[in-house]
Amino acid sequence: MKTIIQTIFQRYWHPYTALILAGLLSAIYFGLTATVWAVTGEFTRFGGHILQFIGVDVSDWAYFQLVHLEGTTWSRPDGWIVWGMFIGALIMVLYSNSFKIRLPQQKRRYVQGLVGGIIAGFGARLALGCNLAAFFTGVPQFSIHSWIFIVATGIGTFFGAKVTKMRWWKGKPSLMRGAAAPSKVNKHVVQPYVGGVITIAYAALVIYFFASGKTLLGFGALFGLAFGILIERGQICFTSAFRDLWLVGRSLMAKAIIAGMAISSILTIIVIVLYDIPPITKIAALSTFVGGVLFGLGIVMASSCETGMMYRLMEGQVLYLTVFIGNIVGATFLAYAWDHLGIYNLLVKSGSPINLLDSIGPIGAIAATLAMLGTLYGLTVYWEKRYQRNMQMKRGAKTHAS
Amino acid sequence: MQAEKKADFTLDLRGESCPYPVIYTLEALEGMNEGELLQVITDCPSSFRNVPEEALKHGYTFAQDPVKNGQEYLFYIYA
Repeated sequence: MKTIIQTIFQRYWHPYTALILAGLLSAIYFGLTATVWAVTGEFTRFGGHILQFIGVDVSDWAYFQLVHLEGTTWSRPDGWIVWGMFIGALIMVLYSNSFKIRLPQQKRRYVQGLVGGIIAGFGARLALGCNLAAFFTGVPQFSIHSWIFIVATGIGTFFGAKVTKMRWWKGKPSLMRGAAAPSKVNKHVVQPYVGGVITIAYAALVIYFFASGKTLLGFGALFGLAFGILIERGQICFTSAFRDLWLVGRSLMAKAIIAGMAISSILTIIVIVLYDIPPITKIAALSTFVGGVLFGLGIVMASSCETGMMYRLMEGQVLYLTVFIGNIVGATFLAYAWDHLGIYNLLVKSGSPINLLDSIGPIGAIAATLAMLGTLYGLTVYWEKRYQRNMQMKRGAKTHAS
Repeated sequence: MQAEKKADFTLDLRGESCPYPVIYTLEALEGMNEGELLQVITDCPSSFRNVPEEALKHGYTFAQDPVKNGQEYLFYIYA
């Protein structure tokens, strides 16, 4: 029993485990609710509510009509997905006794987080999704916009990685001579008890939703919680999946995400065919590409995407408060620019929603999707091997010289 | 859990988020002479996995097992 508890609550899970579970759950969530796991649409609505609160009339903003700015975050399943994710991540952090206020040593990180967060929030909403609806839960819906978005995110993160390597950006570490003392450890462990209290309160809320017939809110709250648990335990990070591939040839997270999408696609196609639920298709246009590049650049600058930010904030990493604020500011600015600054006419209007199911049927759609994911997997392995070859040559040269 | 050898350098990464723990660790090791010992103190949870894995992949060896110290980890790596 003790070892089970340790494995679940005190060790991080293998990214493959977490992402395959996330892929399965997101397909089941789609089957139950006909909506997908997504977060940035809700962030945009947060921005809308803040504007309303300070007295701005947003009723005629086209983007808020597009994302249905109605009710409050507490009355929307999408809202409970977000709050559930925060709470799921938080209770896992508490159970593993790993909450700690972590303040960046270098002040420049706050500016980087804010600026990166704004660019990522703007880009994600321009493309009509972030690493979820235009990526992880977009590919299994067979919506072509997610294919464009993945390629564009790859390009954006590549340039983002170049920026983070520059001296003025990355700053200087505190490297000292000799050994240094680690932090004092508090012997009294209270965090798991706080986690237990929150779990009980949240369970009561979920039961209330189902008992009072608010089934969709109940599903939102429950699946949000599960997604929160998975992103924290698996330390799921879409930013690192790309960035670490470019920076240090690290491929584990990228491969796990691809595997999760493959499993999710297979289950989703079964759900769509069996239950005749229409897939969620978003507009594929120039905006998808531009948004993806901006999103990729922004998440590397901010050191986190919109989902990674959520569990890192719950871990007590204060930096991600600026990223969260940036995401909302960026998404809200896009909502303004959509019609007021002509973004829709310039980048979106010429596009159209394209779904593989409509163009090539279910067999073709799943075959094409798996082939595309297989290609991505192959490219990832190729890049990792290429990096390792270069590294060995560099190390070999160093050894010979010394 | 005492280091067999006293660390020559210490990289205090408390508060730093990814990717900087990995970048800083690899750069510090690259700048050190072979055989010198680096102590890394980090509290970014993602770095608990990616710092040791990347150090090993880049050909460095560990002087001892990683030490979990409350909400942080200590790594002892030979350059």
